[in-house]
Amino acid sequence: MDLIFLQLLTGLAGASTLFLVAAGLTVIFGVTRVVNFSHGSLYMLGAFIAWSLLSRLPREPDYFVLGVLGAAVATAVIGAVLEVVLLRRIYRAPELLQLLATFGVVLVVQDVALWVWGPVDLSLPRPRWLRGAVEIAGLRFPFYDLVLIVVGPAVLGGLLLLFHRTRWGLLVRAATQDRDMVAALGVDQRVLFTSVFALGAGLAGLGGALALPQGSANLNMDLSVIAEAFVVVVVGGMGSLGGAFLAALLIGVLQAFGIALVPKITLVLVFLVMAAVLVVRPHGLLGKPQAMARGEVEALAPIRPAGPALQVLGLVALLAAILAPFVAGPYLLSVLTEAAVAVLFAASLHVMMGPGGMASFGHAAWFGVGAYAAAFAAKGLGAGMAVGLLLAPFAAGALALLVGAFVVRMSGVYLAMLTLAFAQIAWAVAFQWVEVTGGDNGVLGVWPDGWAADKPTMYWLALLLCVGGALVLRRALFAPFGFALRATRDSALRAEAIGLDAHRLRLAAFVLAGAGAGLSGAVFAYAKGSVFPTYMAIPHSVDALVTVLLGGVQTMAGPVVGAVTFTVLQSWLLMGDFWRIKLGLLIIALVLAFPTGIAGAASAVWDRWRGRAA
Amino acid sequence: MMLQVENLHAGYGGAKILRGVSFDLAAGEVLVLLGRNGAGKSTTIKALMGLLRPTAGRVRLAGADIAGWEPHRIARAGLGWVPEERRVFPELTVAENLEVGRRPAREGLAPWTPERLFALFPNLAELRQRPGARISGGEQQMVAIARTLMGNPRVLLLDEPGEGLAPVIVDLMAEAILALKREGATVLLAEQSLAFASRVADRAVILETGRIVWDGAIDALLADTGARARHLQV
Amino acid sequence: MSVLVAEGLRKRFGANEAVAGVSLAVEPGEMLALIGPNGAGKSTCFNMLGGQLRPDEGAVRLGGQDVTGMAPRHLAHLGVGRTFQITASFASMTVRENVQTALLAQKRQAWRFWQAADAQHVGLAEGLLARVGMASQAERPAGVLAYGDLKRLELAMALAGDPVLLLMDEPTAGMAPAERAALMALVRGIARDQGVAVLFTEHDMDVVFGQADRVLVLDRGRLIAQGTPEAVRADPRVRAVYLGTAA
Ligand SMILES: Nc1ncnc2c1ncn2[C@@H]1O[C@H](COP(=O)(O)OP(=O)(O)O)[C@@H](O)[C@H]1O
Ligand SMILES: Nc1ncnc2c1ncn2[C@@H]1O[C@H](COP(=O)(O)OP(=O)(O)O)[C@@H](O)[C@H]1O
Ligand SMILES: [Mg+2]
Ligand SMILES: [Mg+2]
Repeated sequence: MDLIFLQLLTGLAGASTLFLVAAGLTVIFGVTRVVNFSHGSLYMLGAFIAWSLLSRLPREPDYFVLGVLGAAVATAVIGAVLEVVLLRRIYRAPELLQLLATFGVVLVVQDVALWVWGPVDLSLPRPRWLRGAVEIAGLRFPFYDLVLIVVGPAVLGGLLLLFHRTRWGLLVRAATQDRDMVAALGVDQRVLFTSVFALGAGLAGLGGALALPQGSANLNMDLSVIAEAFVVVVVGGMGSLGGAFLAALLIGVLQAFGIALVPKITLVLVFLVMAAVLVVRPHGLLGKPQAMARGEVEALAPIRPAGPALQVLGLVALLAAILAPFVAGPYLLSVLTEAAVAVLFAASLHVMMGPGGMASFGHAAWFGVGAYAAAFAAKGLGAGMAVGLLLAPFAAGALALLVGAFVVRMSGVYLAMLTLAFAQIAWAVAFQWVEVTGGDNGVLGVWPDGWAADKPTMYWLALLLCVGGALVLRRALFAPFGFALRATRDSALRAEAIGLDAHRLRLAAFVLAGAGAGLSGAVFAYAKGSVFPTYMAIPHSVDALVTVLLGGVQTMAGPVVGAVTFTVLQSWLLMGDFWRIKLGLLIIALVLAFPTGIAGAASAVWDRWRGRAA
Repeated sequence: MMLQVENLHAGYGGAKILRGVSFDLAAGEVLVLLGRNGAGKSTTIKALMGLLRPTAGRVRLAGADIAGWEPHRIARAGLGWVPEERRVFPELTVAENLEVGRRPAREGLAPWTPERLFALFPNLAELRQRPGARISGGEQQMVAIARTLMGNPRVLLLDEPGEGLAPVIVDLMAEAILALKREGATVLLAEQSLAFASRVADRAVILETGRIVWDGAIDALLADTGARARHLQV
Repeated sequence: MSVLVAEGLRKRFGANEAVAGVSLAVEPGEMLALIGPNGAGKSTCFNMLGGQLRPDEGAVRLGGQDVTGMAPRHLAHLGVGRTFQITASFASMTVRENVQTALLAQKRQAWRFWQAADAQHVGLAEGLLARVGMASQAERPAGVLAYGDLKRLELAMALAGDPVLLLMDEPTAGMAPAERAALMALVRGIARDQGVAVLFTEHDMDVVFGQADRVLVLDRGRLIAQGTPEAVRADPRVRAVYLGTAA
């Protein structure tokens, strides 16, 4: 009984820090419409800064409060600088590019933190008063847990007062609904946005600082907390503070009990709860349907098939790719094979993300399912490569059909989070079902048939299947199906009114995307000879997103350009120390330079050049 | 002159919409900007408001050249915009909508307060606590105008205030504009309906494919059947 | 026989009964106007007839078949075309592609994965655009059209399915008076020639009294008057709640 009670207390205490982070995230999203991936990094910085301050200050309660507030303020200032230097420049960019830029910030902050604070986990010596307990009604409560439990509702109350009782709060709420109108009424948006971002960042920093005494400041806390914060915000309903609070309680308690009872599948449990909530309430516990932010539709220019010049360029590139093995060494050839795989992986994501309008944070799941299907064909069935290559897209497509049936009813960020959830579950299964998948050790010896065993042949096969697959997908997008899909994305209302089945079209796109990724996964498995759970992990999903966004969502050439660029960049940049900061800065620079992606920018330049020539 | 627009050029991306729009607006005057749909009336108003960056030309508001300023500075300088889509904040109450528009009083003008505005639009008084999404289109139009007036603008830019509204509400709008005029307000009205314009305006300019093709007193336009047939098909 | 018959339609949103028992019938070739103050429940009626909303009570019959609560896409295939008060078109496609997509959808050809879509039904699409006066804008992206032009595009898309019934919610909003009359005269011509039944809402009284065969007046969810344009125009209640000086 006591144990359960203590567990509940731990859960509620954890819920408070989670709420602080999620509240910051949801406030920032509400006003700026930026899904801030780097919010976890601010939380991490809050913890590190708090460590630096608290380990130098006297270990007294007053100084503890001072140190924690100092860390929160410092993080708020960092947030404000981040807003002024980076985010302000990209408010007009497509939502997902903003996400990408903030992911660049995640990478940069990771390396900066590594450089400043080093790789070791930093924990705080805990003075007696922090470890103490309070006796209430014969039960002993850990003092610090109680402090945390009080902080959550107090901050919620403070925020609600701030938003509903001050002019600043009123303007923030108005800006959440229509920011251009607020500007036209004489309000300086920049001040508003910077202050909101600082507030959100400060809340994240406060959360990080408060979490420090019970854990440590370490370099993994950014991504782990951002995943949880996303879940909380989505379960609560984007933009709803009350919802975030409820969801934080739910998730916090669930986690506390999960870790005590079923440590292996806690993560899966959390994501299952999220999926369940979203199926019943597609906009979260207290969320409302997200009105399309004004101006979003205008950003989508019509997709044009490539002009003759571009087609010639494409053919030349393809020819060069075919002839590559005659000049390329084995290392370059394996890079090129990876690039071919990346092309199909990205093109398949592009189908659902571009014309389908459904961004996925978990596209690696289908890649992984395809790879494991190939491994299963090779090792489990002892079948040849042809069977594996055939099985993979079908397995991935079938699973995508199952998952998609309820995922495609969602939209926007909710859909993205659900795909992330399923990818995490798939990853956890691959990781823990050791008998079948080999767990962390993976499946080794997934080799191609003899005739394709040498590198050039395998490369040609990859080129044929992956580039061919991408071309087939491209064709479908310019066919009636592609038109109908884009129609559904642009206006589901109108699409239904002319007789289109929006749900089935979206589902079909989802399945096509899954099958394409599955095929690319199988090719990759045979090319590498092995399959690991990391194929399904979040970073690999992010790779796909980066690739597509890098290339540009609104151009069909985008995924190809993005895949080649990204693979080449990765194989250069991933070498050596501090690759994260290099990659991060590069991503940020690319987003700033090409807000419509490389291919989008190229086609704009092309149009302008032709316009002048004509 | 309260507002002087000289050779204004603006467009969207590559598309040039305004190709040299010029007109003047005197203090206390109601000027109607007429033209068929797509002529560039809303574009003109957005360019004045800084929501669209003019590519050339000058906009003088009470002497200051505001062309190229950001919207919030232009609003503070004294242009008040009522968009054609109304854009009432759907989740804020009527009272809160008005509060968002509040700006300091302007010298020489009696400051607007919610009470004065509820006198101008009596329907709104009892809707104070109703969210913007839950009032009718006509009431939304009134809130949009009242919200902008809370900023005590020197010049009110009204973009088709009667569009999509029931005839009784259109009457109300005309009366409200006349009431504002009696108080000395300066108004630029974008309109497609000559009938509505003739009830409230002193002067008219006609916009056609991004240029002013007619400029004069509204009575002169009503009398000029040739110009009306040529430019307005009436 | 009436093309469309609605009986006792009701719809409430929370405590607010937006439509409180509306019955109506539209005949082939008839122009029926539904007018009333803003917030009277006109769009809600349209959405129940077009399948976007399911009525709380009442029935809708199309050509004798019960279609109450049927999804819009099925109604579209039964010959219901519609335009929306807040225009809905495919912003990222050109005007011509919008119409081509409507034609592909109506001909049940959307599930084709191979042939190039922009070569399909080009002539038909251009014919429809010419009919609504949009031929010159065929290659512009729908996202940059002026409001009135979007309404015309919507009409072309609604006509792509050879409808038996056109539901038009404020079809001429955003247009100049002269254009309004022209567009509705065009719709009237189509209604006459092809026997299409048209139900529309409109705030321009010249259009209503000039083009409608019959007028229904809705106020606070209830029909308060109906009949010929002349009779409705003379009705004192209608003058008080709706017409004002426009009568
Ligand atoms: N956001 C936009 N992007 C591109 N073109 C636009 C945009 N808004 C309006 N236009 C174009 O500008 C022209 C003028 O439009 P507008 O100023 O809205 O006309 P009006 O208000 O006179 O009806 C139209 O041809 C319209 O298609
Ligand atoms: N989705 C909705 N949710 C809640 N209330 C609604 C909704 N749609 C319409 N209403 C309300 O129903 C009433 C009728 O609205 P509507 O049918 O749009 O009127 P009209 O088209 O005649 O102007 C209004 O009071 C409106 O606020
Ligand atoms: Mg306009
Ligand atoms: Mg309506």
